[in-house]
Amino acid sequence: MNRAIRHIALLTAKDLRIEARGRQTIGLVTVLAILIVVVLALGLAPAPGASGLTATAILWVAYLFGGVLIFEKTMAVERYDEALAGLLLAPIDRGAIFAAKLIANLVLMFTLALVVTPVAVVLFQFDLSASPGGFVVVMMLSMIGYAAIGTLFAALTSSTRLAGGLLAMLVFPVTLTIILASTRVLYNLFEHQQPVGGSGLAILIAFDVIFLVASWLVFELVLEA
Amino acid sequence: MNSTAINLIPRVYWTLTAFLFAAVGAMVIFWTPREATMGDVQKIFYVHLPLAIHTFLACFVVFVASVMYVLQRRLWWDDLAGAAAKVAVLFASLVLLTGMVWGRSAWGHWWTWSPRLTFSLILWLLYVVYLMIRPSIESPQKRAMISAVYGVIAFLDVPLVYLSTKLLPDIHPESISLAPPMKMTLLAWFVPMTLLAAGLLIARFRLNRRRSVLERGAEEDLEDDRTEDAAYAGPHLTPAGEIA
Repeated sequence: MNRAIRHIALLTAKDLRIEARGRQTIGLVTVLAILIVVVLALGLAPAPGASGLTATAILWVAYLFGGVLIFEKTMAVERYDEALAGLLLAPIDRGAIFAAKLIANLVLMFTLALVVTPVAVVLFQFDLSASPGGFVVVMMLSMIGYAAIGTLFAALTSSTRLAGGLLAMLVFPVTLTIILASTRVLYNLFEHQQPVGGSGLAILIAFDVIFLVASWLVFELVLEA
Repeated sequence: MNSTAINLIPRVYWTLTAFLFAAVGAMVIFWTPREATMGDVQKIFYVHLPLAIHTFLACFVVFVASVMYVLQRRLWWDDLAGAAAKVAVLFASLVLLTGMVWGRSAWGHWWTWSPRLTFSLILWLLYVVYLMIRPSIESPQKRAMISAVYGVIAFLDVPLVYLSTKLLPDIHPESISLAPPMKMTLLAWFVPMTLLAAGLLIARFRLNRRRSVLERGAEEDLEDDRTEDAAYAGPHLTPAGEIA
């Protein structure tokens, strides 16, 4: 167990170190996400004090596209100089590789959210004051499920020619569940002042658990292919 | 059985299916009573429900074939999954269309974001994407693997989609009480619909088999297409179009 945790920590640190030194992914992704928010802001010409529901819809668009780029980039690193072959030859459990990639992806996604959310709040004058904590919990749960699916499919598609477009095609329809569940939970939270909980939250947690386990199980087979 | 007899089977099968469709169609038009509030539009229901159930069955076949491909790595399973996905998308499209016609008459809108409609739309999207990604991946093994993993994930997603659409406000009928002739007609519709689904699945599957043999003719045997020992044992198409 300790060994596995050490491996995961080592691999995560490796991915984050590469990112910290190159800063290729996070800069690109953040600028893209801000661009998306600005495009939507110009297009929608929002009324001041837009509700939390509009906030989630707009932020989801930014997170979805940003996320796909993050998943693709963190996996593409392994394709240079046969790094993946080295990784697979190392006496490390494949599950640990998946966990490490997932954590690295999540760290980058949370970083993206930390920058983009305040930008959107300022541009749209979102009013999240009703329940900022609930907003953060729901969004974090949603991102975990999204990152699990994204990490799996990124490993699967990274060696094909059209990795980026293909990845978005694969991940978006599966993610519609999370978007639907999270927007409904936040709608009830901001429009009806219902506390976060109940079936919406249960679905988000179920999604996270099912796809974390499924991705972890399939990841090993995917890497061998 | 000689080849003429084998060639005859699909013809008999499709003639029978067409005949049964005509029969159950006649049942709907001449025999089942007119529903009191909805009128004739309610009769779409006899087509709608069997289509919906066969959509789920086709999705389930995609799932099973995908799991088997991941476990065994035989392209046979990928061809089956691809065929089932085609049937699933066709049937799901028909479910959406018949549902929209019904909804236009019942609720006055072609589309409302009610749970079942949203669910059907997401289900349709999930499997349309499955079909769209397949031709864009050139290597057959890679295509099979990506499709298989997606087929598994998409099917696992289906119950979650269903539960999450439950969070939306609903106007779709939950359960309907049917008069005996209506019940009979509904049950009768399942017979040709099952024949149609199975027939399309088999026809597609055979076509996919032939295509993958042609594509990978130099690498793969029909009988044993394990990807790791791909010694060519000589499958080819006879002039009659049979695989020998």
